[in-house]
Amino acid sequence: MKLSGVAASEGVAVGPAYVYAPRGPRPAGNVPEGAVEEEISRFRRAVEAVRERLSETAARLREAGSGEEAAIFEAHAEIAGDPELAAEVERRVREGREGAGAAVLAVGEEYARTFAAMDDEYMAARADDVRDVAAQIATELVGGPSSGIEGLDRPSVILARNLLPSDTARLPREKVLGFVTAEGSRTSHVAIMARSLGIPAVVGVGEELEKAFGASVVALDGGEGYAVADPDPGTLELFERRRQRSDAEAALLKEYRHIEGRTRDGRRIEVSANLGSPEEAEEALSWGAEGVGLFRTEFLFMERDELPSEEEQYAAYRRVVEVFGERPVIVRTLDVGGDKDLPGIDRPAEENPFLGWRGIRMSLDLPDLFRTQLRAVLRAAAHGNLKVMFPMVTGVEEVRAAREHLEECRRELEEEGTPCGPLEAGVMIETPAAAILAGELAREVSFFSIGTNDLIQYTLAADRGNERLRRLYRADHPAVLELIRHTCEAAREAGIWVGACGEAAGDPGMIPYLVRLGVTELSMSPPSIPRAKKILSEL
Amino acid sequence: MELGCGAQRSVRSLMVEREATVVPEEGLHARPAARFVGTAKQFVSDIVVIKDGKEANAKSPLKLMTLGAKKGDRVVIRAEGEDAEEAVEALVEIVTSEEP
Repeated sequence: MKLSGVAASEGVAVGPAYVYAPRGPRPAGNVPEGAVEEEISRFRRAVEAVRERLSETAARLREAGSGEEAAIFEAHAEIAGDPELAAEVERRVREGREGAGAAVLAVGEEYARTFAAMDDEYMAARADDVRDVAAQIATELVGGPSSGIEGLDRPSVILARNLLPSDTARLPREKVLGFVTAEGSRTSHVAIMARSLGIPAVVGVGEELEKAFGASVVALDGGEGYAVADPDPGTLELFERRRQRSDAEAALLKEYRHIEGRTRDGRRIEVSANLGSPEEAEEALSWGAEGVGLFRTEFLFMERDELPSEEEQYAAYRRVVEVFGERPVIVRTLDVGGDKDLPGIDRPAEENPFLGWRGIRMSLDLPDLFRTQLRAVLRAAAHGNLKVMFPMVTGVEEVRAAREHLEECRRELEEEGTPCGPLEAGVMIETPAAAILAGELAREVSFFSIGTNDLIQYTLAADRGNERLRRLYRADHPAVLELIRHTCEAAREAGIWVGACGEAAGDPGMIPYLVRLGVTELSMSPPSIPRAKKILSEL
Repeated sequence: MELGCGAQRSVRSLMVEREATVVPEEGLHARPAARFVGTAKQFVSDIVVIKDGKEANAKSPLKLMTLGAKKGDRVVIRAEGEDAEEAVEALVEIVTSEEP
């Protein structure tokens, strides 16, 4: 039987079916009149316990630097403590004599349906949030969480109505071959998580899924977006072949994971990772990252009510340099476009955020914000091989001003007796102006990093997201290549090195160009690293 | 789910009401909602948000989201209690400012 759904995460999997259905709370019968108040106080204690657990998780994540995930749990804590949710549950217990567990599930489901019906992807995702929280309260009422994974004893394809964040956190990763869910879209939690873990997934197959609950074997193709329950021998063979092909490629590339990045004629090219948060560091190492060529720091600033303290930033940067040890880690100072919000910073809406107040322009205008970040970076540099680079540079004055701040921060720290480490500074070459002025800029810094995404879009005046301009937006456009060539030449003359950290740096078609022009460090999303090393070894 | 219909309430103390147009891009969702609820909770007054005759407790993120208030929608914020004036002022400010 074929189940068509949404292609949520690439890859092919074949394996025994495992139906994941966390044991719901036992439907307690009606509450006797004398026990109503006791039932309500049980409910209130459960709410408090769940709310506290969620807040603690949020605080822990926040401390570890994962602001985005923390925000999810903060929102869940808010839902758990919602006064209207409590009022409706208590009304059902008082008037309908319903057990609190059943009542909270019913009320949660009503909200979930209202949100799901609102025809808005954001609100549809809130449906999962409220279901998750209601289920946690109900579970708490029957005495602690049940896992639903007791029988998961071998690698299997997981079939589930839906998977909530608290479910996926419980699933042992090594026993999950793939996911097939009845609900969900490409942007739902399970889809995002499956992609980040590299687990094939098909979501949103609908009610049909229940017919597959009795199946013994399930095959799925997460790239095509369908699954087959109890496949016939012909289908099974087809999936086996596909799986072998994708596994074979992955296995071949695996051999390249931990080799040194080097061309066939022996030129050393460092193959590094782009990171968006400290949690990604270990994963990047396991893909064979020889360093971090771009550590974005925006995660520290988004989805929150106040700016991150120096301590918080220091902890986040330090964590990454410690994971990477001797290997270089390049921190990019804050680069938030005018289309995103920053806590406590008043920014009028801009008509053209990509040409707006961002990157080094904003940092220089907000010295307190900039210097807090620089101090944190300088302090983290004492724990490993850290470098810093400035985004959106268009001229020498900006670099000089930034370096002055850096030196002043260093003096301050030294006077305070706070340890800080050596810190090379670099410039991102992502505006045509910076590329054209590379000769002058090279005298001010220790390295360049070409941000290819922005360099292409600014050079060709073509928005990366505009489908109609796809043909124009090309890394190998002669104008772009000429700017890269000029940048590399200026760097060579000044005796500094050049890296690249846009998408082109991991693009098999672009790597040969970049290396030939003189780029000696390529930084990319971690899963692209093995292939890049293989391509280099064949150049 | 039952949503009250803006019935007349007995005035215990001060009642203040103002109409405003939702300005944030995300409407009264996501961060603007979190900030809105957080602010509402700082006041002792009973506060409701009314949109198209639907009324929601301003201290309840769930109820607030059921209004589905989007950028450009007109909402009424009504508060009853000793700090009603300040509450309405603070909440109108959030609803009508670009930066959530």
